[in-house]
This record gives sequence, structure tokens and C-alpha cells, in this order.
Amino acid sequence: MKKSLLVIAIASIILVLIAKLVGGSGLVLTGLEKAWNTAVQSFLMLVVSFVVIGQLHVLLTKEKLDKWLGKYSGLKGILISALAGGLFPGGPYIYYPFARTLADKGMPFYILIAFLFGKNSYDFSRVPMEVSLVDPRIALIRNLITLPIPIITGLLAQRIFENRSVNDVLDRQGD
Amino acid sequence: MLLTTALLSAIALILFFLNRKENGKQIEGLKIGARQLLQTLPLILGAFILAGLIEVLIPVEFVKNWLSTEAGLKGILLGTFGGMLLAMGPYAAFPIITSVLASGAGLGTVVALITGWALLGLSKAPFESTFFGLKFFLYKSILSIPFCLAAGLAAHTLDLLLN
Repeated sequence: MKKSLLVIAIASIILVLIAKLVGGSGLVLTGLEKAWNTAVQSFLMLVVSFVVIGQLHVLLTKEKLDKWLGKYSGLKGILISALAGGLFPGGPYIYYPFARTLADKGMPFYILIAFLFGKNSYDFSRVPMEVSLVDPRIALIRNLITLPIPIITGLLAQRIFENRSVNDVLDRQGD
Repeated sequence: MLLTTALLSAIALILFFLNRKENGKQIEGLKIGARQLLQTLPLILGAFILAGLIEVLIPVEFVKNWLSTEAGLKGILLGTFGGMLLAMGPYAAFPIITSVLASGAGLGTVVALITGWALLGLSKAPFESTFFGLKFFLYKSILSIPFCLAAGLAAHTLDLLLN
């Protein structure tokens, strides 16, 4: 956690310096204002999502998760995870902490990949916006074409890493 | 955002009562959630700052002009990386994509652009690297590139077949 915080702090300092060089203090302030607005707008959602994460933490014991993963492993598990990703509400500040919680419970790496690619490719809450703001025909074509992506990436990850857990593959122990 | 919050609140309530019925650990769950929020909050706030700075540093007009008349294989390649640079949420990204489409970009370019934004969008980078590490972010991004190109290529082929 401390290492991640240090990386973020260094990256922020570098970006502040770049923004200062490119557009002066005004650009830095605009960037910080955008960050502040996002933080304020999403604060309540963040609190609620951590209530969900906490409740899931006590509900999903490692034994339960293992049992579930034993029942829905392989392609079935990939399909369910990809679909769950697509249905999962909220932005990256919600689904990454959630995925991290499951990863710390021993979730296999390929399930994480299917979930994240499912969220990024499908995100069903985004579809109405894509249809209305871009074009219905393009939204249909794009969604159909990208439909197999989470399944292929999940299968690829399973082939390469087999049933190894996220923390085992990434060599992280809860960070 | 309000709808998502309402949905998450409903899920939280269901889980709370489910835990109360199943194991009586609902209060422990609240404590764990609060502890995790406090532990993660500095990271999330840092990631918000990074995402805000990335958003203002990437010149949207440049991306728009860059892609406006592109089609074919070059358009697919530029669309993929253009999508990565659109470090913003759907409300901001989709109107930009629409303007790229309106200015004459091909179907392959637009599909690569949306797929690139969805899979590679830099606004996710701070969160992905915070919760799973920089290496994971880099590998996932590299793995995503061929999928964005393939999606653009499939759309381009479809466009050629339909017209």
C-alpha cells in the first residue's frame, strides 16, 4: 500500500510539473479541479461501495468462494465473471477495490481477467449512452464485435496461468 | 451516478440483511468496509488527482483532428491509440467520438476508437496500477492492443462488405 501511494505521489508530481510547463498554473489547477469534482461527486458512491465490499468480505468466506469456483470453473466461470463484470455498476474507483477484495480471497487470475475485460467491454450501463450519443448501428456493431473479447482473454489467461490465484501470479500478498 | 448509488445502496442493504440472517456478522462487515475505505482512500484520492491531470494534459482537439478523416488500416491503428488517450468517462468521450464520426472517419476507425477507449483508456490506469500493480496494468494494456486492432479490422471488413 505504501509503495502504491509513493508511486502515485511521484507520478502526480511529474504530471503537475508537465502540466505547469505545458499550460502554466492554470492547467494544473484545472486538472486538480477536475479531480476534486470527481471526488465530491463520487464520495457517497464510494462510501456505499465500501459497505458492499465489507459485507461481501464476511459473506464470502474462502470456503464459499472455493466451492463456488469449483462449481463454476473453466469456461462457465469465465462466462459468469465476464457477465458479472458487464453488470457491475460504477467506475474504476468502485470495481478495482471490489476485485482486489476477491483477489485477496484467492480468486484465480483468469477469473479476474474475464471480470475486468467483461466490465471494460460490456458495461451494460454504458450501452444506452453509446446508443444515444454515438449511433445505434455503430453501438450494435461494436458490441457484437467485442462480445468474445472477455471470453478469449479469460481462456488465454487460464491456458497460461491455469488455476493460479491473482496474488500468486502478481506476486502480491494483499499489498 | 445517482442511479448507480441507489443500485449499490440496495445491494448493500440486501447483503447486510443476508449477513444478519446467515452469520450475524453484519456489523463486522461494516467495520471491515470502513477500515478498507480509510486504508484505500489516500490511494483513490491520489488516483483521482492523476486521472484529472491526465485528462487536462491530453489535447482532445488534437485527437479529434488526428482521426477525423482517417479510415482503413491507418485509421484503425490511430483509433486504437486515440481511444487510449481519451482519458475520460462516457459522457465526455462519446460526444467526441460522435464528432470524429461526423467528420468522416471510417467505421473501422470509430469501432477501434471506442474499443481502445473502453479497454485501454488512460483514466483507468491510476486505479489499475494502484490495486494490481504497474506490471499488471502494462501487461493488460499490451494484451488489449491486438483486440482493439482486430475489432477495428472486423468493423472495417464489415463496412466494405455492406457498402
